[in-house]
Amino acid sequence: MTVSFLLNGRPVEAEGPATRTLLDWLRETRGLTGTKEGCNEGDCGACTVMVTGEDGPRPLNACILLLPQLEGRAVRTVEGLGGDHPVQEAMVTHHGSQCGFCTPGFVMSMAAAHAQGRRDHDDVLAGNLCRCTGYAPIVRAAEAAEGAPVPGWVAADAEALRGLKGSRASGGGFEYLEKHEEVDAPEGPAGRPAYEPEAAGGSGARVGKQAVFLPRSAEELAEWYVAHPEATLVAGATDVGLWVTKGLRELPQVAFLNGCTDLQGIEEAEGWLRIGAGVTMERLLGVLAGPYPSYAEMIRRYGSLQVRSAATIGGSLANASPIGDNAPALIALGARLHLRQGEARREIALEDFFIDYGKQDREAGEFVEAVSLPAEAPGFRVWKISKRFDSDISAVCGAFNLAIEGGHVRSARIAFGGMAGIPKRAAALEAALEGQRFDAETVEAALPALERDFAPLTDMRASSGYRMEAAQGLLLRYLAQAGGAPVSVLELGS
Amino acid sequence: MTNELTLDKKADTRRLDEMAQGLLGTPMDRPEGVLKVTGKAIYADEERPSNLAYGYLVRATGPIGRIVSTNKDEIAKMPGVVAVIEEADLPRNSVQGATPTAAPTRGDRIDYIGQPLALVVADGFEEARHAAQAMTAVMEADTGLHFDPEAPGASIETPEAKQASQGDLDAAMASAAFTLDEEYHTSSMHSAAMEPHATIAEWKDGKLTMRGAYQMLKFNQKSVSDALDLDLSQIRLLSPFVGGGFGSKLGIAPEAIAAALASKAVGRPVSVAMHRRQVFETTTHRSATKQKVRLAADKDGKLIGVGHDNLVYNLPGEKFSEPTTQATPFTYAGENRVIGHHIARLHRPAAGSVRAPGEAVGATVFEMAMDEMAEKLDLDPIEFRVRNIPDLDPSKGIPFSENRMEAVLRDGAERFGWKHTKPKQRLEDGWWIGTGVAAAVRVNMMSETSARVRLTQDGAVVETDMTDIGTGTYAILTQVAGELLGLPANRVETRLGDSDFPKAFGSGGSVGASSSGTAVYLACMELRQNIAAALGVEETDLTLKDGRAISGNVAKPLTEIVPGEGWSATGTVKGGKAGSLVRQATWGSCFAEVAVNAVTGETRVRRMLGSFAAGRILNEKTAKSQCIGGMTWGLGMALHEELVHDPRDGHMVNRDLAEYHVPANLDVPQIEAHLLMEDRDDWANPVQAKGIGELGISGTGAAVINAIYNACGVRIRSLPGTLDKILAELP
Repeated sequence: MTVSFLLNGRPVEAEGPATRTLLDWLRETRGLTGTKEGCNEGDCGACTVMVTGEDGPRPLNACILLLPQLEGRAVRTVEGLGGDHPVQEAMVTHHGSQCGFCTPGFVMSMAAAHAQGRRDHDDVLAGNLCRCTGYAPIVRAAEAAEGAPVPGWVAADAEALRGLKGSRASGGGFEYLEKHEEVDAPEGPAGRPAYEPEAAGGSGARVGKQAVFLPRSAEELAEWYVAHPEATLVAGATDVGLWVTKGLRELPQVAFLNGCTDLQGIEEAEGWLRIGAGVTMERLLGVLAGPYPSYAEMIRRYGSLQVRSAATIGGSLANASPIGDNAPALIALGARLHLRQGEARREIALEDFFIDYGKQDREAGEFVEAVSLPAEAPGFRVWKISKRFDSDISAVCGAFNLAIEGGHVRSARIAFGGMAGIPKRAAALEAALEGQRFDAETVEAALPALERDFAPLTDMRASSGYRMEAAQGLLLRYLAQAGGAPVSVLELGS
Repeated sequence: MTNELTLDKKADTRRLDEMAQGLLGTPMDRPEGVLKVTGKAIYADEERPSNLAYGYLVRATGPIGRIVSTNKDEIAKMPGVVAVIEEADLPRNSVQGATPTAAPTRGDRIDYIGQPLALVVADGFEEARHAAQAMTAVMEADTGLHFDPEAPGASIETPEAKQASQGDLDAAMASAAFTLDEEYHTSSMHSAAMEPHATIAEWKDGKLTMRGAYQMLKFNQKSVSDALDLDLSQIRLLSPFVGGGFGSKLGIAPEAIAAALASKAVGRPVSVAMHRRQVFETTTHRSATKQKVRLAADKDGKLIGVGHDNLVYNLPGEKFSEPTTQATPFTYAGENRVIGHHIARLHRPAAGSVRAPGEAVGATVFEMAMDEMAEKLDLDPIEFRVRNIPDLDPSKGIPFSENRMEAVLRDGAERFGWKHTKPKQRLEDGWWIGTGVAAAVRVNMMSETSARVRLTQDGAVVETDMTDIGTGTYAILTQVAGELLGLPANRVETRLGDSDFPKAFGSGGSVGASSSGTAVYLACMELRQNIAAALGVEETDLTLKDGRAISGNVAKPLTEIVPGEGWSATGTVKGGKAGSLVRQATWGSCFAEVAVNAVTGETRVRRMLGSFAAGRILNEKTAKSQCIGGMTWGLGMALHEELVHDPRDGHMVNRDLAEYHVPANLDVPQIEAHLLMEDRDDWANPVQAKGIGELGISGTGAAVINAIYNACGVRIRSLPGTLDKILAELP
């Protein structure tokens, strides 16, 4: 298939199967080797590029970015920074580049942040691993560059996209692909000159039909998905990307949802926030920072900026990982899931969506349209426990939503991730708390109830005993913060 | 012209201190920095010849044992497949560091899960990978294999040459006023350099060219020669930029030999790039260790006995074993001393050198034990260490070239604001706060290295097959040459990483900077003789600065002195008696402040500061960066890094960057490193410089572990100190 976008300011058409990654295309077809492959699964950030869409510039991992996700976007790689970008100069003078292999990725993260005027460098750089510098010189370089003017091409890229949108409407310039595209995956590239820019694309060795669909609305998606219930829906590809790059899976039928702008809405009505399934985790973080600071902090840690800028809330929930961090938080909040199959819609409690490991209450051709959560719940806190502070999978994620009245627990909704095959409420613990005075004595007495709720697994990430003790510890932490003790785990300062 | 020096004695002059250019030691930016930030630095898998074929290594999935047959013939018929290189002489794993021979070969065996079974070569990368995934082997499984060094029945070797004993430690332990006898564990760890290993091999006119990520071209070239039965003159290795090594690229890795074999077989250039997971399995990693430390002290806190026994592992047939106790013979006093070294033969992937083999885990554990002992003695841990700095190397009875341990401990203590406190004194907002200290020590070595310097009217060109793996070689060799020849940095060009250049030891063992720096020094001294002779003056009367030669009242630009064809000189340095007449080491101290969460056991490092002495500092910026990077590794070893092996078959469970946790930005505070800039070690070499690339990890992790104890009273004796180990013992 053909995907059209801007690359370093110039319109390009990229050829390849829908599962071809941008990284692969840049390095193999275009010969742009400045973008590096360090892990090929979104862990290290060496492949970071800057992608500008309607919502401005974002840093994304090119290794798990599939070509159709770029339709109508502007991509900048390290080769497109001009060589004299303030962050490039600062990285040299502050010795932020040593072996240099992670450097282009860091530079792109920094350039994207610089374009957005962000100065929270620790957060911005959380998705880039470096094994040489110890990070300090890189953070200093980012600080040194933060005040410098933003290069003109940042605005030019955005302007060019606006032009494209207009021309698309009038039938000129770029166009989204045909609604339905049955493409022949290309033949094996025998004798392909491997390093010639503009060489024919097509890295696919497999020959066959691939159904690719780029819907422009939920309506289009709903209709197509009923007809193709076996298809894979791709939102941010932060997990599906790994199916391809690590699991080497083929996706014979696939739809890319990032053109469905009507799935990206955020509405507030009657005390509820309705979050469209296509809302990225980075946007959600911004929305939740006000009412739910602990949730926002958890999102900040659970994935890097590159991952949060691609990943969506709908993808996170539909994916239904037992160790995903969103589900326990939202279950504790009493969130409702909006599902759609064709024209039929239904709404269920999120906790009912997760039936068993790998099994959800989702019909064939049914997809997540949105999730609703209360606009406020003052008694809500969520914390994740992981071996590494940043960008690590939780051993345990605990979410607590207690309503305390007159010193007593009026209601308790408590949910955990990492404690069972699905994210799940701690019913016995809730019962042991409800109606009781909320104090240390009650909490101590209630803690053993958690052992009736869960029999957690032992795996490489944590032992069963540790998971149980840490989960109980999180309730103690809840008690401590309710008593006024600050419990932020962001303890880097001194 | 050549200028050779064998290091048999102390240098009698400090000529570099007499130079006028003012370039050496300055925090000069690395000259190749611009190439790196613009993406123009070319790494291993990036300069591609036409008609390239792609190779993908086939992963042996087990069981371990004899290969009966494979489906090679079916694989060869798959779309796009050009050849299946399934040969007995495929390397089993990476060659060990500084080893001029080939790696053990596959033969008809699979010795560990993840071993390369074959290489599939195809027209496209995906075709090669697809076919490689489809390849299988019928195996005859071995029985009675061991995967855990501490499991009953594991085969343990105790080589005579690696045991040492003096005095009577048992008697000292029995009679001492204070003793410590504890067991410690460190995890398996991986270098996890950011650039995965890759090679593009190309045959042309009987000559093999390999572009790859290699740390030690001299040895790598010999390994290729041995593996493929070629003359050295037929092999050219190119490695101008290396995306980190940390030991994993010391010895040539399986992908390189496989690419060379394949390229010969198919008559086309072949690229083999390893996936991150293949890098974890087929290149060498750091063995886990079990260490038993015994200390005996008199009532004044003077050590009278030191015992350090350790168990490490490796695959059968590997000569390397983690030299855990490398610094134990000389770091602290104690007339009664026993060192034990045991190697378990296991069928885990091969172990080898990772940044600071030996001290990284050995000194770290020893510094944890020293902290425990200081507490028993009720002494400030700094005071305890200082009391036990020996006057002579206590094992060999030879003097130190210099011993800066007290200087770095005092300097670091003052900068950090060190105050000795009892444990569990500060509980603030649910966080236990504490501080810890550890010393760092790393042996210093020199090894044979040559460099050529050509001086023309345009400036100087330095050439050596030494590599820059991020360490700053391009910068420091430019600085040494510029200083001695009186040239600004922009008139000196340093070219590295080409096996056609004069041979260096390479990047490894903290040997590279001092050895190649000395070779450049020797070449430049020869060129200074030429300039002096042309002016008719003594070399010692010559001042060279900014391209001008000055002697007495004569000043002349070099362009008028140097002949049109230029002058060329080669310097060669060789290790000599100086390495055995005195004990040479580098010295450091590290301080950490941590917060341990009282409810969950989460540890956050809030502050880390180090002070280091390594002789003359060639570039303040690159040297400091090495220390900061090393301390970050120390932090990682203390808190995160743990390579997990499946107890059933030894395979690496977490062989990727998602699950093998190197420290991420938010785990690392703004680390400070300070250098004793005035330090000079005349025994090291005429540059007075020692290696600094590994010092930063050689003990520093213990500062974090000791700080955890000081904060919350939990003694971690098994690294990494993850929250589960802390939580179990929290007050």
